[in-house]
Amino acid sequence: MAALVEKAMSGERQALNRRLSHGGFDRAFRWASLASALIVLLVLAGIIASMIVGGWPAFREAGLFGFVTGSTWDINNDVYGAWPAIAGTLATALIALVIGVPISLGIAIFLTQLAPRWLKGPVASAVELLAAVPSIIYGMWGLFVFAPLVAAYLQTPLNRVVEGIPIVGTVLYSRVPSGTGIMTAGIILAIMIIPFVASITRDMLDQIPSVLRESAYGIGCTTWEVVRHVLVPQAGVSIIGAIMLGLGRALGETMAVTFVVGNANRLTALFDPGSTIASRIANEFNEALGLQLHALIALGCILFLVTFSVLIVARLLIARVKVH
Amino acid sequence: MNTVSVMQTASAAGRAADASAPVRIAVRDLDFFYGAAQALKGINLDFFDRQVTALIGPSGCGKSTLLRIFNRIYSLYPEQRAEGEVVLDGRNILDPRIDVNELRSRVGMVFQKPTPFPMSIYDNVAFGVRLNERLPRSEVDDRVEAALRRAALWNEVKDKLKASGMGLSGGQQQRLCIARTIAQQPEVILFDEPTSALDPISTGKIEELLEQLRSEFTIVIVTHNMQQAARISQFTAFMYLGEVVEFGPTNQIFMNPGKKQTQDYVTGRFG
Amino acid sequence: MTSTLQASSTSTAPATVPWGRVRPGRRLADRLLKGACIAVTALGVFVLGWILAMLVVRGVSALSPRIVTAATPGPGSEGGGLANAMAGSLILTLLGILVATPIGVMAGTYLAEYGKRSRLAEVVRFINDILLSAPSILIGLFVYTVMVMPMGQYSGWAGAVALAIIATPVIVRTTEDMLRLVPNGLREAGAALGAPPSKVITTITWRAARSGMMTGILLATARIAGETAPLLFTALNNQFWFSGDLMGGVANLPVTIYQFALSPYANWQELAWAGALIITTAILLLSVVARFVIKKDIAR
Repeated sequence: MAALVEKAMSGERQALNRRLSHGGFDRAFRWASLASALIVLLVLAGIIASMIVGGWPAFREAGLFGFVTGSTWDINNDVYGAWPAIAGTLATALIALVIGVPISLGIAIFLTQLAPRWLKGPVASAVELLAAVPSIIYGMWGLFVFAPLVAAYLQTPLNRVVEGIPIVGTVLYSRVPSGTGIMTAGIILAIMIIPFVASITRDMLDQIPSVLRESAYGIGCTTWEVVRHVLVPQAGVSIIGAIMLGLGRALGETMAVTFVVGNANRLTALFDPGSTIASRIANEFNEALGLQLHALIALGCILFLVTFSVLIVARLLIARVKVH
Repeated sequence: MNTVSVMQTASAAGRAADASAPVRIAVRDLDFFYGAAQALKGINLDFFDRQVTALIGPSGCGKSTLLRIFNRIYSLYPEQRAEGEVVLDGRNILDPRIDVNELRSRVGMVFQKPTPFPMSIYDNVAFGVRLNERLPRSEVDDRVEAALRRAALWNEVKDKLKASGMGLSGGQQQRLCIARTIAQQPEVILFDEPTSALDPISTGKIEELLEQLRSEFTIVIVTHNMQQAARISQFTAFMYLGEVVEFGPTNQIFMNPGKKQTQDYVTGRFG
Repeated sequence: MTSTLQASSTSTAPATVPWGRVRPGRRLADRLLKGACIAVTALGVFVLGWILAMLVVRGVSALSPRIVTAATPGPGSEGGGLANAMAGSLILTLLGILVATPIGVMAGTYLAEYGKRSRLAEVVRFINDILLSAPSILIGLFVYTVMVMPMGQYSGWAGAVALAIIATPVIVRTTEDMLRLVPNGLREAGAALGAPPSKVITTITWRAARSGMMTGILLATARIAGETAPLLFTALNNQFWFSGDLMGGVANLPVTIYQFALSPYANWQELAWAGALIITTAILLLSVVARFVIKKDIAR
C-alpha cells in the first residue's frame, strides 16, 4: 500500500517535472516566435533609419525641395538634383501601367470567364512562370532582342513622321534611334507587372460567388456586360489594389530597367535615354564617393517613400492576397 | 409536415388550375448530362400559360437541373449538355442557334440567394431594361417604378433609389431581384427556391407576390417546401431520380396522387 | 433560318413580343471583348515563349563543359567558365535561406498561433506584406549602410543577409497561411492530451502544414536565387574561386551575368547567356517543384 502511494507520488512528481521542463521550453518558444515577428518590424525601421541617415547630407546640401526639384546631376562639381530620375521613374511606371493593366485585366477575364477548362491550368501556370523569371533576364531580352526591334520598327518610322512637328515632335522624336530609352523601359516593366496584376485580379474575380455571375447572365447579359457591369464593380477596389501593387513593382524595379533605359542623366523625350531612381543607384553606387554616395542614398529614400506609400495603399485595398 | 393543412391549401389553389390555357413551354424527350452522368431522363412536360407550376421532389431529383434548362443557364458550364426539345414560342430553345441573351431576357430567373448587382437600387432595375431597349430617361423611370411597385418594393425604396442595392434586407433584396426580372417584361419567370434563405415574414410577402405575378407571367418554381408548393401553384410535377413521376393539377397531386411514390412524398413519408 | 428553328412536333403559344430584340451592337461589343482577351492572353504566353526561346537559343550554344569547371575569365582573357560564380551563388542563396527559414517560420508561427488578431500581430502582418513587395534595391542599400560601410568592405555575409531579408517575408506569409489552414480541432485534440502550446505547434500543427511551409521556403529560394540588385552593393562579385572566406567580394551568378552581358568581350557575353539559361532553368524548376508540393498537399 505504502509502496503504491510512493509510486503514485513519484509518478506525480515526474509528471510535474515534465510539465515544468515543458514550461521552460514553452516560454522560450513563445519568446523566440515573438522575437522573430519583431525582427520583421526591426527591418522596416532599419530601412527607414538608414535611408534618412544616409541621405541626410545630400538633403542638407540642396534642401529637401531643392534636391527633389534640381535637374542637374553633376558628379564633377558635386551638384545633385533628383528630378530627372524621379521623372524617369514616374514616366516608366506610368507607361507600364497604361500598357500592362489592360493586358492584365484581359488575361484575368480570359482565365476566369472564357478559357475552356483544359486551357485554364496551363495558361495560368505560364503567366505565373512569367513572374518567376529573374528581372535580369528581362533586361537581357529587352536590350538584345526587344530594343533593336523598337529602334527599327518604332523609332525610325516614327521619326520620319513626327520630325519638325511642334510639341508632338519634341515628345516623340528620338535623337538617337538606339532602341533604349524611357519607352522601352516602360514596355519591359509592363511585361514584368502583368503576371502580378493578372493573377491577383483573377483571384478576386474567382472569389465572386457564381450565383451573382449566373444571375447577371440570367437576365440576358453578354459576357462583356457581365464583366463590365457586375464582376468588375463587385471586385471593385481590390482590382485597384492589384494595380497599385503592380505600380509598386514598376517603381522599384532595378535590373531590367538598368539594361534598357539608356542611363542618361536627363529626361528629354519619350523615346530618348533617361534614367530611373533605381537604375541611377545601380549604375553609380559602386564608384560613388562622398556626397555622391549620400545623394544616391537620398534618391533611395525618395524611392522608399513613393513605393511604400503606393504599397500601403495597395495592401489596404486588397485585404489579403496570396504570396507570389 | 401537417398533411391535412397541405391538402386543404392545395385544394384551394388547385381550383384555379386551368389546363385549357395555352402551353407556354413544352418539354419533349429531354435528357440532361453532367459530363457522363445523366441527371434527367426522358422528361415530357407542359407548362401552361399564366399558371404557376411547382417542381417538387427530394434533393438531387433533378428539379433545379430542369429549371436551369429553360433559360439555358447551364450552358455557362461546358461539361453540361441537354438533349431533346424544349419549345418556347414555337422555337426549340436547345437549338445552338438560339440567341441565349434574348432567351434569358424572355425567361427570367430568380435565385435561391438574393443577388443584387453592385449598383444602386434604381440601376439594378433599369439595367435589364436598358440591355434590350433604348428608351428615353423618363420611360426608364416609369418602367423602374412600375417594376418596383409590381414587386411590392416601391414604398420601401422610393426615397433611396440611388442607394446601393446591397444595403437592403434579405427579403427586400429578393424582391429587388424580382423587380429586376419583371422590368424586362419576360414571358416566363423561373424561381429556384426563392424563399429558402429568407425569414417567414419575407417568405410570406414573396408568396403573395407570386400569386399576383401569375396574371401576367408563366411561373415555374422549384421548392423543397411542400406547403409552399401547395399554397402557390396550380400545377405540380413530382420528380424523383431524374424522372417526372407524376404531373397534374396541384390539388390532384396532393390529395389524390396516382402513384404510391408521390403519395409517400407529399405525406412526408420519405424525402 | 427561322423555319429551321421551328420545333418539329410541338407548337406552343406565340410570343407576345416578337423575337429579335437583342441589338447587334451588344453582340459586337461582346465579340470584341472576347477577341481582345484572347489576343492579350496569347500575347502574354507568346512573350514568355519568346524569352525562353531566346535563352535556349543563345544559352545552349554557349554551354560547354568548361562552364562548370573553369572560373570566370579576367578582362581580355580567352575562354573561362562560371564555376566560381555558380558555387558562390549557391553558397549565398543557401546562407540566405538558412538565416531566413527559422526567422520566417517562427514569425509566421507567432502570427498564426500566438498573435492572431492582436494589434501587434496585425501590424507585423501588414509590414510583412509590404516588405514582400519592397524594391530589392532598397534592401541592398540598407544592408550596405549597416554592414558594408561599418566593415569597410564588401562581403559575402552582407550579400547573404540581404538575400535573407528578401526571403523572410515570403516564408512568414506562407507559414502563417498554411498554419491557418490546419483545422482547430487538431490543436484542441493536442491540448486535450495535456500538451503545452509549443508541443502542439512543433509536433502537430507544423507537421500538418509542413508541405505548404516547404513550398514557401522553395518559393523564397526561387525568389532570391536570381536577385541581382541587392548583391551589387553587398557581395559584389569577383573573378576568384570561393575561398571559404565570406569577407570581401564573393563571385555570384546574377552580378556576373549583369557585368558580362554589358561587357564588350565576346567570350564574356557568351558566358552571360549561358549563365542566364542556367539560372532561369534552376529558378523555373524550383517554382514548378514548389507548386507540385503544394498541389500534393491539397490533394491529400
